[in-house]
Amino acid sequence: MALTLPEGDLQTRLERYLEGLDNRHGLEESEIVDGVVRIVAAKGDVPAVLATARETLGIPHLSFITVVDRQGTFELTYELIDLRGATVRVKTTIEGDEPVIGTVTGVYPTANWHEREAYDMFGVAFAGHPDLRRTYMWQDHFDHHPLLKSFEISTKRTFEGLR
Amino acid sequence: MLGEERRAEHEGALTEPPSSRLVSPDIRDEFGLETIDMNMGPQHPAMHGLLRLILELDGETVVRCDPVMGYLHRCQEKIAENRMYPAVIPMTDRLDYFANMHNEHGYCLAVEDLLDVEIPPRAEYIRVLMCELMRLASHIPSIGFLMLELGAFTPILYAFRERERIQSIFEAVTGARMMFHYIRIGGVKADLPPDIPQKIWDYIESLEAHFQRDFVDLIQDNEIFISRTRNVGKMSQEQAVEMGVTGPALRCTGVDFDVRLDYPYSVYPELQFEVITDTAGDVEASYRVRIAECLQSIQIIKQCLEQMPEGEVLGDTGRRIRPAEGEGFGRVESPRGEYAVHVVSDGSDTPYRVHYRDPSFCNMQLLQEIVPGHYLPDIMPIMGLIDPVSGGWDK
Amino acid sequence: MQTVLNLLEVEPIRLLISFGAVLFLVLNLAAILTMAERKVSGYIHLRYGPNRVGPRGLLQPAADVFKLFTKENVSPGRSDLWVFLGAPIAMFIPAALVWLVVPFAPDAVVADLNVAILFFVAITSIGALGVVMAGYGSRSAFSLLGALRGAAQMISYEVPLILSLLGVVMLTGSLSLVDVVQAQGDTIWTWYFLPQLPMFITFYISGIAEVKRVPFDLPEGESEIVGGFMIEYSGMTWALIQAAEFASMAVISAITVTLFLGGWQPPLPFLDLGPFNWVWFGIKTALIMFTFQWIRWSVPRLRMDQLMDLGWKVLVPMTLIWLFVTAGLMLLFPSLGA
Repeated sequence: MALTLPEGDLQTRLERYLEGLDNRHGLEESEIVDGVVRIVAAKGDVPAVLATARETLGIPHLSFITVVDRQGTFELTYELIDLRGATVRVKTTIEGDEPVIGTVTGVYPTANWHEREAYDMFGVAFAGHPDLRRTYMWQDHFDHHPLLKSFEISTKRTFEGLR
Repeated sequence: MLGEERRAEHEGALTEPPSSRLVSPDIRDEFGLETIDMNMGPQHPAMHGLLRLILELDGETVVRCDPVMGYLHRCQEKIAENRMYPAVIPMTDRLDYFANMHNEHGYCLAVEDLLDVEIPPRAEYIRVLMCELMRLASHIPSIGFLMLELGAFTPILYAFRERERIQSIFEAVTGARMMFHYIRIGGVKADLPPDIPQKIWDYIESLEAHFQRDFVDLIQDNEIFISRTRNVGKMSQEQAVEMGVTGPALRCTGVDFDVRLDYPYSVYPELQFEVITDTAGDVEASYRVRIAECLQSIQIIKQCLEQMPEGEVLGDTGRRIRPAEGEGFGRVESPRGEYAVHVVSDGSDTPYRVHYRDPSFCNMQLLQEIVPGHYLPDIMPIMGLIDPVSGGWDK
Repeated sequence: MQTVLNLLEVEPIRLLISFGAVLFLVLNLAAILTMAERKVSGYIHLRYGPNRVGPRGLLQPAADVFKLFTKENVSPGRSDLWVFLGAPIAMFIPAALVWLVVPFAPDAVVADLNVAILFFVAITSIGALGVVMAGYGSRSAFSLLGALRGAAQMISYEVPLILSLLGVVMLTGSLSLVDVVQAQGDTIWTWYFLPQLPMFITFYISGIAEVKRVPFDLPEGESEIVGGFMIEYSGMTWALIQAAEFASMAVISAITVTLFLGGWQPPLPFLDLGPFNWVWFGIKTALIMFTFQWIRWSVPRLRMDQLMDLGWKVLVPMTLIWLFVTAGLMLLFPSLGA
């Protein structure tokens, strides 16, 4: 039941990951920068790219999912770690104000809470997520997504719905 | 590999695997058994912070465990967007308040990634020294908390005595006992006072002398401790990695992932230390891993004190920290696991987005997966395995 | 003056006055034990216990009692009030009643029953009722769990408690506690804890379990169910439960001393103090209570299934086996028994 981590020299592994992902998916950009495999994919491809990374290339760990609100588009970054020094960073962009993207919980179960946090803070809906509810904010009456740039910090907003 | 001989010595502890205890729902329906829905509420004297656990209990067996967080949420990521880069550092202090130095270090690494500033070697050594002292000040109380939740009240007081001594060293160096604001972008705030290296050395030697007596002898062979923690919270390596667990909780299953060795940063490549793993994957194994990591930290601190070069302590970042547009990533090994910071800059004085990947948040997913099937009193030792801090999971 | 002393010879009056005196002792003991517990725990934890109120903190129990008298007795809105308020009383009365049969010194027993051991066993069993009343009357999930655990624990540890007494009864040939003390001579190696060592250990462990102290304080498990069956009590009701716990801890220590450690007998004949032998009784009881506290602050607590395993699978077989050993040795060497 022991976990097998990828073997080999760092540079070889990075090139293998780059090649593996490039060959199987049409990626918009792919390069190795400073010891990190940097990939930009279309939003519909992301679950498939991560599935390849996990199953074919054997990258075991999803470190975090960051969402950046670019006021008009949302930029997601998935950081995958192979626990031996190599990093694969998958970026994708979602247009519009109602972002929806497929979930990766089937591939990396740890994404469950990361995606919940992304939903809570930004309103990014993950299609197919088993349990998409808020992490930090109130679950019933709080309809806003706090980390959006359009959400201002003000006392009135904080206590809305409670008084 | 730790502990194989010790486990063989104590075979036959009074436990059975938890999977056999769950009654299947059909049997429950047939006999008209009902489950109790209970809160281990946000107000609880023994929780690791403000956490609400919604539990569904069948007698004493937990059928479903659902953590509800958010009671300490302080919108750190949002506030960081309105503060200048150096002003975010005191806020990172308050994220995981048992590992303040590591939080600051992670953020500063991310910003230095954006800036390309030269960090003086003395500053790097001081950073590592402070981080390893912080690791001691975090692992020792976490052992105390584990024992407190098991019902032994004494080890936590011994643990906090050690933490108090370390905090007085921090006070002499940084000026504060807990929220240091010491590691700055480009180095550290100020040099160590001249008598501090000797004080740290004396303290470390005395800690090494009585560490075994205080934290190992009274606990490790205690029958009750062994029967409460062996085979409790047992996970396999696949389960742990799938759930995104890092840190001592992952290393206690056997996966030897340590950010200090696998993704080296600062001066860790020049220091000699080992990655501690155990194979059992239960609470007892995590206790052993933390004890051994304390001893490793003591070795690292000694090496830092011996190898520390002279020089400046703060690199030249210019008057204003205004990185070019881009993204910076920093990753450190906090006492709880892999702590990463992702900073997005838009060329102005304030960050555009700061994202903290806190290990307590990610490790808490264990509760949903592992706890069902265990008894109610087992929940607290499992939280001792994860060792979360509420500032971490709530940001 | 002479009429008062003559009055003390009259039976019901003597009983009432001496029981009143013992009750006064027990209530004070409960208060003093809170103080002793805090100081002992303090020194084990490398800190001072309370040391502000009075010289070296010795007036702390007075401050505690005063505070508890003035505190509001909160009861949950939907609790069953009669059961809820009756529970502390139901817990305190058995703990106080057993003091009726404890021999403090030669001829200093409130009630010299010739079935004193049976009385002790019967009254201690009632203690479980108080726990269930407290948990049931509070009507909250935590209390219910605590009460169920408490009832299971107390009932299952009564079996080894009673079985371990039987060796002493066989050696003495009588159920009277005064006879038991007389039969253990006035030298430390003739006391019953040596020939009945497994029984002594079992009685001691079962005693800790009956009093619900660490390592058996799961009904009150502070780490998960915060107070268990007594979570909803505050003020004087809580104080009465605490007094009942400390009184029962003291009574279990006193009975342990009486049965196994020679009661009021001095350890060596030349240390005999005559009518002042209650000093020896007091010293021995205090020593046993100190060990209770020492264990409390040293070990973690057992989980419910491990606790039941220990009681039924370890202690009961041990006592049964030793009963047969004792009976066999008494048959082989008739001089051993009475």
